[in-house]
Amino acid sequence: MNNRRSELRRTLTGVGFLLPNILGFLAFTLVPLAMSFFIAFTDWDILRHNIFRRESLSFVGFENFTWLFTHPEFWHYMGNTFFLMLGLPFAIAGSLGAALLLTRVSRHPAALRGALVLATLVLIASGLVLLAGGMAEMGVWFIFGLLAAGMLVGGVLTGGTIYRTLFYLPHFTAGVATFVLWKKLYNPQTGPINFALTPVLEQFAAAVQVAAPVFAVGVPLTAGVLALLLAGWQVRRLVRQWDDAAAGSVAVALGAALLALPAGFLLHWLGMARPLATAGVIVVATALTIFIVRRPRPWGPVCARDAGVSAEIAIGLGLVPLLLLLAAGVALGAGLPAAAAGGIQPPNWLGDYAWAKPAIMIMALWAAIGSNNMILYLAGLSNIPPELYEAADMDGASSMQRFWHITWPQLAPVTFFIFVMGVIYGLQGGFEMARIMTLGGPAGSTTTLSYFIYIEGFETGRLGYASAAAWVLFALVFILSLLNFRFGNRNAND
Amino acid sequence: MTDPATQAPRSGPGLHTVMVVLSLLMVGPFVWMVLTSFKSFTEAADPAWMPGAFRWENYPEVFRVIPFLRFAANSLVIAGWVTLLQVLTSAMAAYSFARLEWPGRDRIFFLYLGTMMLPGLVMLIPTFQLMVRFGLVDTYLGLILPAAFSAFGTFLLRQFMLGIPKALDEAAEIDGAGKWQIFWNVILPLSRPGLITLAIFTFMGNYHSFFWPLVMMKTVDKFPLPVGLMLFDSERGQATHLLMAGVSMSVVPLIIIFIFMQRQLIRGIQIGAVKG
Repeated sequence: MNNRRSELRRTLTGVGFLLPNILGFLAFTLVPLAMSFFIAFTDWDILRHNIFRRESLSFVGFENFTWLFTHPEFWHYMGNTFFLMLGLPFAIAGSLGAALLLTRVSRHPAALRGALVLATLVLIASGLVLLAGGMAEMGVWFIFGLLAAGMLVGGVLTGGTIYRTLFYLPHFTAGVATFVLWKKLYNPQTGPINFALTPVLEQFAAAVQVAAPVFAVGVPLTAGVLALLLAGWQVRRLVRQWDDAAAGSVAVALGAALLALPAGFLLHWLGMARPLATAGVIVVATALTIFIVRRPRPWGPVCARDAGVSAEIAIGLGLVPLLLLLAAGVALGAGLPAAAAGGIQPPNWLGDYAWAKPAIMIMALWAAIGSNNMILYLAGLSNIPPELYEAADMDGASSMQRFWHITWPQLAPVTFFIFVMGVIYGLQGGFEMARIMTLGGPAGSTTTLSYFIYIEGFETGRLGYASAAAWVLFALVFILSLLNFRFGNRNAND
Repeated sequence: MTDPATQAPRSGPGLHTVMVVLSLLMVGPFVWMVLTSFKSFTEAADPAWMPGAFRWENYPEVFRVIPFLRFAANSLVIAGWVTLLQVLTSAMAAYSFARLEWPGRDRIFFLYLGTMMLPGLVMLIPTFQLMVRFGLVDTYLGLILPAAFSAFGTFLLRQFMLGIPKALDEAAEIDGAGKWQIFWNVILPLSRPGLITLAIFTFMGNYHSFFWPLVMMKTVDKFPLPVGLMLFDSERGQATHLLMAGVSMSVVPLIIIFIFMQRQLIRGIQIGAVKG
């Protein structure tokens, strides 16, 4: 009896401390969640159902969802959301690279004199430039020279802390302020980016015209050879993974499909009709899969069918964008001299259907390199046992081998965490950028799911569609997280 | 920072040059922002970086054209209240999850963790309808309340409080302290680094917040800074030079907070990711 009373007491105390939070949780998470689910199945429209006009709501079943899925715009916005997430591997690589560089910087009293000399030289040089060119023309170089000299001395004195601070700055200030700033930077007439690009592109156009045949043949040829080398490397890797029973048939098929995808885009860009190119992708992927999977395994099948899927996804995330870039080089290279004849114009960034997404991705990369991810990598790097590197040194490992066999596998849990969070945030992202920089345009090319939900929920007021779209987003986040944990954890534990 | 394990110390001039160039790339946009804030209206349409003459009067001009101080005060009040409430409610919940024993505790904690995965967007539309229903649209309360409770904060502080030795609670209990006294006098002071970290995160996040104030606030005088600054980019035309002056002024407090709080923040990021 006494025991039960003390248990009740403990529960009451425990819940008592929880109470304020629980009330908030109920009011602002659970109730809205339930309401949202309910709204998604109704025809709630702000114009017809509000305090002044109360037409009765009616349940429409799955009509909102079918409306979404039968509208090409919705698929377009979903595609945009995923396209913008292609920046994630670059951001992860950038954060890792920055963290690796930062750990190499050490406090070196002896280096201070050298740094001071170098800083003085930079200052003198920029001062001379200022004198020769005048404030209006060259003042900005003087300012950058000043900053560079200060950073150098600070970097040597603090053992790199100042670099870390500066790398983190864009992430820390990211928000409306930086979006507005980048909108101005991207302005094609008045922004500094195109101001800097114009002379560079003029030079480039002139060079192309001087050596037109070299470019017409050289660019596609180089891109093509590089692409083939990359593809060959991946095929060889897939074969080896299969032989070592590190990859199952699902992983091989996935790897083959990811490899064939850029080829399909190339065919399409070279003028092949979309269905035909798609068929090409399917044929190539299937043939490659069958070719690999039919190879006999000397030790019999010893791995699950879905083994190695996460590795293929990881490699595909890096490989596909690279191959797409190279494919673009092949497709556009031959036409380069003709295009250069009229002079090469810098892109109209946010105002151009094709360039708006890359422009946003570049900005996001700027903000993401020095973000929390870099901090996590720094912590991860300092947790790697030094003995591993000492052993590798004794075996005479090269720095590449040290990275791929020690650093990268040791950091796998961190990378996995960053990737999962990146996907979750990426799916929900893009609202503020779209609202401030592009209003979702041009022609919907920067409208993400979240911006679509905002438009439907707060501008057109069709709450039914907006809620249905929000639940589609929720389902996507849920499924991708499940997949990540299903396949990713295994990889992280290897 | 130095990690002899990763590489033998090799901070040669080459490495420092790379770091300086990267730092300049990160800082470059801010340099442009500050320089443009000193331009005249016509110069702001000119892509050259340098203003002809540094127009310091742009900054007082910002205060004349928009109620900048009012916006800043709104932002500080809203972010300040949210931070206070969120840190308090999160600390209480974290104390319950980390240091009190009661049946069903861990199951409820995992439910909490699960809600961190819910996309906030799912809740936004119904929450707004609730706000309309309760007449909280265009009020500070409507901005503060939904942000005052956080599963993330609870999680972060729980991780932190788990690291405090259990013997301290027991000693206080023997001295006759109640649970609330232990929480207030023992655990809270010991959790200070965690509380400060959460406070910075929360404050920053709400100082930046744009979406919710944008849909909730109708009266210009109640706008927080991020929404207020957009006035320069819309109805009042494109006053790029003033916009950049305003943006510079809104970013400066962040940079100052950051420089002084770096170490706390970095620790918090690492605690938060331990079990993600």
